[in-house]
Amino acid sequence: MAEKLVPVVCPWCSVGCRFYAVSANGYIRRIEFDYDHPTIANRGKLCPKGVASYQFINSPQRLKKPLRRVGERGEGKFEEISWEEAYRIIASKIKEIKETYGPEAIAFLGSEKITLEENYLVHKLSKAIGTNHLDFPGRYCQYSNSPARIALFGTSAATNPFEDIAKAELVVFWGHNPAETAPVLFGQYIEKAILDNNAPLIVIDPRSTRGHKYASLHLKPYPGTDLAIALAMLNVVISEGLYDKDFVRERTTGFEGLKESVKDYTPEWAEKISGVPAEHIRKAARLIATKRTAFFVNEGVNQHINGLNTAIAIADLIAITGNIGKEGVWSGVIPGAQCGYCVAMTGVAPNKLPTGKLVTDEAAREELERLWGFPIPDWVGFDLTTMVREIGNKIRMMYIVGGNIAKSMPNSGWVREQLEKLDFLVVQDIFPTETAAYADVILPAAAWFEKTGTAISFERRVQRTYKAAEAPGEAKPDWLIIVELAKELGLGEYFKYSHPDEILREINKVIPVFKGATPEYLAEHLEGCFFPCSEPGEGTKVLFKTAFKTPDGKAHLQPVTWREPPETPDEEYPFWLTNFRLVGQWHTGSMTFESPSLKKRWPDEYVMINPKDAKKLGIKTGDLVKVSTRRGSVLVRAEVTEHIREGVIAMPFHWQVNFLTLDEINEKTKMAELKAVAAKVERVEE
Amino acid sequence: MAHKKIFLDYKRCIGCKACEVACEMTHGNARIKIFEFPDLFTVPFNCRHCEKAPCLNVCPTGALFRDEDGAVAFNPLSCIGCLMCAVACPFGVPKLDEENKIMEKCDLCADRRAEGLLPACVSACPTEALKFGEINEVLWDKEGKVVANLKSSAEKGEGEKALIVL
Repeated sequence: MAEKLVPVVCPWCSVGCRFYAVSANGYIRRIEFDYDHPTIANRGKLCPKGVASYQFINSPQRLKKPLRRVGERGEGKFEEISWEEAYRIIASKIKEIKETYGPEAIAFLGSEKITLEENYLVHKLSKAIGTNHLDFPGRYCQYSNSPARIALFGTSAATNPFEDIAKAELVVFWGHNPAETAPVLFGQYIEKAILDNNAPLIVIDPRSTRGHKYASLHLKPYPGTDLAIALAMLNVVISEGLYDKDFVRERTTGFEGLKESVKDYTPEWAEKISGVPAEHIRKAARLIATKRTAFFVNEGVNQHINGLNTAIAIADLIAITGNIGKEGVWSGVIPGAQCGYCVAMTGVAPNKLPTGKLVTDEAAREELERLWGFPIPDWVGFDLTTMVREIGNKIRMMYIVGGNIAKSMPNSGWVREQLEKLDFLVVQDIFPTETAAYADVILPAAAWFEKTGTAISFERRVQRTYKAAEAPGEAKPDWLIIVELAKELGLGEYFKYSHPDEILREINKVIPVFKGATPEYLAEHLEGCFFPCSEPGEGTKVLFKTAFKTPDGKAHLQPVTWREPPETPDEEYPFWLTNFRLVGQWHTGSMTFESPSLKKRWPDEYVMINPKDAKKLGIKTGDLVKVSTRRGSVLVRAEVTEHIREGVIAMPFHWQVNFLTLDEINEKTKMAELKAVAAKVERVEE
Repeated sequence: MAHKKIFLDYKRCIGCKACEVACEMTHGNARIKIFEFPDLFTVPFNCRHCEKAPCLNVCPTGALFRDEDGAVAFNPLSCIGCLMCAVACPFGVPKLDEENKIMEKCDLCADRRAEGLLPACVSACPTEALKFGEINEVLWDKEGKVVANLKSSAEKGEGEKALIVL
């Protein structure tokens, strides 16, 4: 059979790159670059993960048959069963738990790795069963910047298309390293601003990252103290009268409250907390206030308990400097996975409906009940951390689709102990992950290229990806598994779908911002549409040009105050431990570890230590060291390098770092402390 | 016809290794490599396809030849794996393909060029640090950008700084 070029969206980060999967006889042989569609985000280009993305699909480790646990939880002993038996076991268990404890003992997780249509169905199934305990592993991703920007601007989405980044006069990387985490975005847009248009780059990061060599100014705060810098920048911009007075007067509310809240946060105060020289903070603030700025704010800001405050302060800064609502600026949330938006926009959260409204909104519930035909529970469910905390108590069963929480959640040791206490766990995945080891039933899912569906990039592009390969063995697409399980549960009448197109047509009706993103429109326009796409062919490229998405159309400036990180270094644990991503690895490695071209280039974890700290501890590059926090310890090789500031150590997050992170959460956003914990390092004799 | 080459605009390189993976996908082994230095400086390096290629002159079987785009390509069926090419190469580019007992090196993706495609590493390179084309056109283009930068900086009264930002 001849080779066929199937247009697909890349399955890793959320830049939304397109390419072709070269398919023959139901297998993917390689990828080919898409230079045929000049308006796609990646303009043909790909990063190493994109190029290698056909490899994990063909891994011999893929799940091929439904499995039932025969050993202890976590032991990884399973036997093969038929789909009929798997559905029967799951359905009877759901029925039993509902009868014994009520539907509120069951929790569902959606996934940023499955399609828009599939997340919609996970949400619909959880509500049909009667539970609002619904969340996804991305709870620890954008849930600082997202609520902050919603509070200020009414929506957290990217303000401008990528092409505007190249037109910016200043670029700020704040806890973000796109040269490594989004190389195509960096190369096609950001680097053009910096190298071709001479925009200065400010990097705010305790590490020197790959983009750092282009930086004019590098602020190296201790992890978790970015808030102090943001507060001091607000203080400088306001006290020096550098803010955009017309913009503040005409388009914002709450300026006086903000001014009052930051009046004592001088750069000298911030220097004491963050270790960043006051003059550098002043210089950065003045540049931001006077130049059209593209802001890249990501996990270095987000993944802290005080991340909400930091994100609010940065959003305040963006607003009062008028760096929003026009061309040539950029800011917005940057989900780490290709379908982060697919989860967020289908309302996969403990308090949301797919329409974007709240479960507590009676009118919105009634509207959805009319569309769906069954009653919707009215109570607010648990976020992911609370779900896991409540296992063995209020939560008896979990249904996890495409997530590896045994590795991705903070304090992995504790998470695994909790998973052992579940009455029943279903894991639907493409690989036997660390989480699947705790499952009672494992359902083998089709991988990204083995199904048709919709993805949404962080540029707000809604794009279609098409089936290019057959799933191995008996694996089935996630949407079909949900449809078949619903039938077994007696809910078949609400899940009458035989193709993802039918699910997308329902989404077109239920979720207003996707009204125009029809299967037909997206098939004809591979470059996709920018949501809100209310009618086919319409899209919104620049947000907030005339009004914000708040009820009064103004940006609501928020007063903001300093909040200590929950753990700071002390005598016993003298270092700040933070973590980062590698360009050739992705999340918990379930797919990249099965990609030979990636695994051999990025084979292992390590811990970065500043030479001065290493000298005191007698540690050299390559030494085996034990890194410990109050949660646990891991063994890892040391890398002694100037690219980390003194007093801070850092590890890539794809391996074991979550045995060390902290499961305390922010009371509003439920964000945990993943990026700043107190740690010690000791050399281990080999 | 002017010769086509891959030009290395190393200042744009972020060391992501998309070129290596794309090359490996196409040829089984990567024939381009990113060299990383402790100061974050990264250089992608592949065969220079020298105009006076010493490897061509020493190949005893004529396995190495210059193709119509100017690439120093090779015929694997004629190669005996003597690696005289590696002895002569000032860069150490030709390597031993241990599996097939022959030399292997970059041929600017002869198969892809035959289909009208760019070499795989150039197709992938997200930052355009790798550029493929008729070499003097690529260089004139670079020179033009440098001069345009000088001009715009001079107009802003930043004449001397212009040399630094290039």
